[in-house]
Amino acid sequence: MKSLRFSFLVLMSGSLIFLAGCSKDDPKPENIPEAITKATFTFTPATGSPVVVTATDSDGEGPNPRVLSGPIALTKNVTYTLTITMINELAATTAPEYNVTDEVEEEAAEHLFFFAWTNNTFSNPAGNGNIDARADLVNYNDKDANNLPLGLSTAWTTINATGSGKFRVVLKHQPELKSATSTASDGESDLDVEFDLTVN
Amino acid sequence: MRLAFLLLIFMPLAGWAQTCTFSVSGKVEDERGMPLVGATIQLIKDKKGTISDETGKFQLAQLCAGKYEVEIRYVGYQTITTSLKVPFNKPWTITMQSDSTSLNEVVIEDKHTNLAVTSTYSSLSGKLLEETMGKSLGESMREIPGVNTIQTGPAIFKPVIHGVHSQRVLILNNGIRQEGQNWGVEHAPEVDQFIASNIIVIKDAAAIKYGADALGGVVLVNPAKLPTEAGVGGQLHTIFASNNGSGVISGFLEGGSKKWPGFGWRAQATIKKAGDSRAANYVLSNTGFEEQNFSLSTAYHTEKSGIDIFYSHFNTSIGILRGTAVATAEDLAIALERDVPQYTTAFTYDIKQPRQSVQHDLVKINAHLEKGKNEFRLQYGLQSNRRTEYDFRLGALTEIPALGFQLYTHTLDAEWERTHSSRWQSSWGINALYQTNSKVDGTQTIPFIPNFDHITMGLFVVEKISLQQWMLELGLRYDVKKYDVAGFDFKNKLYRSSIDFQNASGTVSVKRKITNTSTFTSSLSSAWRPPNMAELYSIGTHQSAASIEYGLLLNEITSEVKPYAKSGVNVEKAFKWVVGYKLERPRFTTEITGYMNYIFDFIYLKPRGVTQSLRGIFPYFRYTQTDASFMGIDFFSNYKINSFWTLTGKASYLRATDETQNDYLVFIPANRVDLGVRYESNPEKKWSWSAESKLRWVANQSRAPQVITPRQIIDAQAQGIDIVAQRPGNFDFKAAPGGYALISLSVGATWKLKSSKCEIRLSTDNLTNQSFREYTNRLRYFADDVGRNITLGLHYSF
Repeated sequence: MKSLRFSFLVLMSGSLIFLAGCSKDDPKPENIPEAITKATFTFTPATGSPVVVTATDSDGEGPNPRVLSGPIALTKNVTYTLTITMINELAATTAPEYNVTDEVEEEAAEHLFFFAWTNNTFSNPAGNGNIDARADLVNYNDKDANNLPLGLSTAWTTINATGSGKFRVVLKHQPELKSATSTASDGESDLDVEFDLTVN
Repeated sequence: MRLAFLLLIFMPLAGWAQTCTFSVSGKVEDERGMPLVGATIQLIKDKKGTISDETGKFQLAQLCAGKYEVEIRYVGYQTITTSLKVPFNKPWTITMQSDSTSLNEVVIEDKHTNLAVTSTYSSLSGKLLEETMGKSLGESMREIPGVNTIQTGPAIFKPVIHGVHSQRVLILNNGIRQEGQNWGVEHAPEVDQFIASNIIVIKDAAAIKYGADALGGVVLVNPAKLPTEAGVGGQLHTIFASNNGSGVISGFLEGGSKKWPGFGWRAQATIKKAGDSRAANYVLSNTGFEEQNFSLSTAYHTEKSGIDIFYSHFNTSIGILRGTAVATAEDLAIALERDVPQYTTAFTYDIKQPRQSVQHDLVKINAHLEKGKNEFRLQYGLQSNRRTEYDFRLGALTEIPALGFQLYTHTLDAEWERTHSSRWQSSWGINALYQTNSKVDGTQTIPFIPNFDHITMGLFVVEKISLQQWMLELGLRYDVKKYDVAGFDFKNKLYRSSIDFQNASGTVSVKRKITNTSTFTSSLSSAWRPPNMAELYSIGTHQSAASIEYGLLLNEITSEVKPYAKSGVNVEKAFKWVVGYKLERPRFTTEITGYMNYIFDFIYLKPRGVTQSLRGIFPYFRYTQTDASFMGIDFFSNYKINSFWTLTGKASYLRATDETQNDYLVFIPANRVDLGVRYESNPEKKWSWSAESKLRWVANQSRAPQVITPRQIIDAQAQGIDIVAQRPGNFDFKAAPGGYALISLSVGATWKLKSSKCEIRLSTDNLTNQSFREYTNRLRYFADDVGRNITLGLHYSF
């Protein structure tokens, strides 16, 4: 009985080894164009050095949490131009997918940045931003082919007092949905980050 | 113990002394040679009788010499009364004529599909199967007691047997294990329902010769037997449905040859096209689908041997509700709070993203040879399964599949069956499977599952012994499996791995004939299943609701893939006990099945917390192992009030528990009851008609886990709290929907010509245009289920 079982096992494993003899080739890795692994937010004043914060997530949808630098430390009563750049380090640096900013620019008609902040830290735009209500004021510097705002570049004037709060940026992908009234609830989120912000 | 067991198997079984010792055995078939399962063969005066088994065979034992009047009955067929003179030593073949309301019922031919006689099974064939024409395989299987579905919208149905699904349910398409990417809940079986002439569900894992992994059960989809005599026949079906504006055309031509008796052929094709379905109050945008399938088969049979060749091609494109395409927890929260799903537009036949496209090809060759007491069967199958899934992506990427896999599967099955005596039959067999899966290059996503090679070798032995009123079946099986894996982790870094599995499984079942019309069966079986590729290695999202899925082997801290050996991951092991009672009287049939399935290391997707990417926060799910139990009762009953009116009742009750956590599991079918009343006019007439009304009542699933909404997750996250980690146990994003009741009506008329038949049927499902949501439909988070649907079917056969 025992030897029977043994020979049976030998037979089975023998045929397995035979079949498994041909080992697999390594699969080709894919470029991963859609992930954003690093977003850089640059607040450039008319004079002086820019304020830069970053959001990084080296493994995209992987379990590692994202890392936000900050806070965004701005000076009171100064006008800044905020430019946003996004890169994808899962693609080769030479691949077109590496620079997500360019892709968003090319597809400006399907993308829109929304902003929200707390504690009235800006005098212009005043209010709390357009994530809760699209009609609320945000000063977009750029437009898409349909003359609708995009948001890779925006203008911000801080209050003439000290203050602190939160600053949230949401990039929405709105294929066939983007309009003068499409809101932050429409479409899918490509980017959604929130920083601490101080005005001194 | 072992000795006693062996004695039981090998005990000489001859010699029971009786005064009347004659026996007559035979087979019940329909006009085209298909075995009729469960036909009643009754000796009128003696109140003695039997029921044909799963291969149509029956035996009348302990007969005295003399003349008997015998009556043979089968639902949907004309009752036969004939006389029998005992001794009668030839095998007796009884051919039954279907009554006019059924189209020609078709056939199991492949002997590989022979069932264990003691198993608990339910079947869908003949008229009932015909009435589900135009539906997908999964959806039509809902007519079978104990079978439910897990659904992704109106076109994707996966069968759920006794609470479990996907790789725990084995589907044998024409005798070959259906192998596709069936780890996905939204990946429906790639089988053309029109190929089936009957669908049999074996609910105890007693079908040990098909594989060790059928923890829930086995589904056999059997095509009709090919003709063996000269002549050409065929069928044509056209079905139109109002709800999704769908049209279905399906038909086949078949024939035999005068020159070469025993040679037969068939060519079959199906085309389906459907637009968006409609819920009671709005269009379910992007739920259209289409299907183009065809199959060719040919066979040559002599009395004792035969060879069959079969080829089928299945091609489908299915849209998934547009409003389900959400990215982050925020998007999901918004989608769940909406009354009408986002992107709801006017009705269209267009299928856009998210959508899936699947091509499945099967080539099968099988041969059988009978020699004395032995029968040998050999079959080879080659399957190619190509699945691509398209999602909304950046720019031109939308036209590139986000997920794509090509799977090739070779199967080789050999079986030797020996009939030692009329009371003892053994079969030995071997099943081999070799499978390779490769990603479709150029998807520009991290592949959701790795490339892999998979080899399985299994050996089995089944012994069947009958002792007067008792029938005993013992089965033993041993399998060896090997995975060779190469994939990419979250950092797009290559990993390679190799895993071996081996295990034994077994089954013991008994069947007791209580009276001539009733039987009792009880079976205990074990089964095991190694984790599949998705359970081990899945990373990221696929077409499921805004969740990221992590496989069992993914390290949460480092994002890397762990080797299997030290991971603590186990294979799933199940012990299932099924008891069944069947009563088959001329006017009253009833079938009750009770079951208890305890699954150790049951693998399921457990919500674990939230993960953050730059796109926002995502709920994430990790494959987790727990011990789970599934207990339930299936009930079916049929009562013929008179020759015109029939009442039917069907119910299923299921109680599933996560035993380790003492919690509920998600997506467990709710309890349900189906009632029907049917009228059929005299089928002998040239014109006949039928009408039926059915009521389906589905309870609210009260055994559902706690609810944590995406909004609660986001709000907690804003305060720095991981609410999912804080509230252990299983959860769901939305409470289980309430119960519902649906009414359906159908009327049909049949016109019988000499050798052909025309039939027209008009039916309405969800007559009252009820808005409802089904707990096991994954679209329930976003939208209502399908509203009223009027179907017109025209059927012609010759």
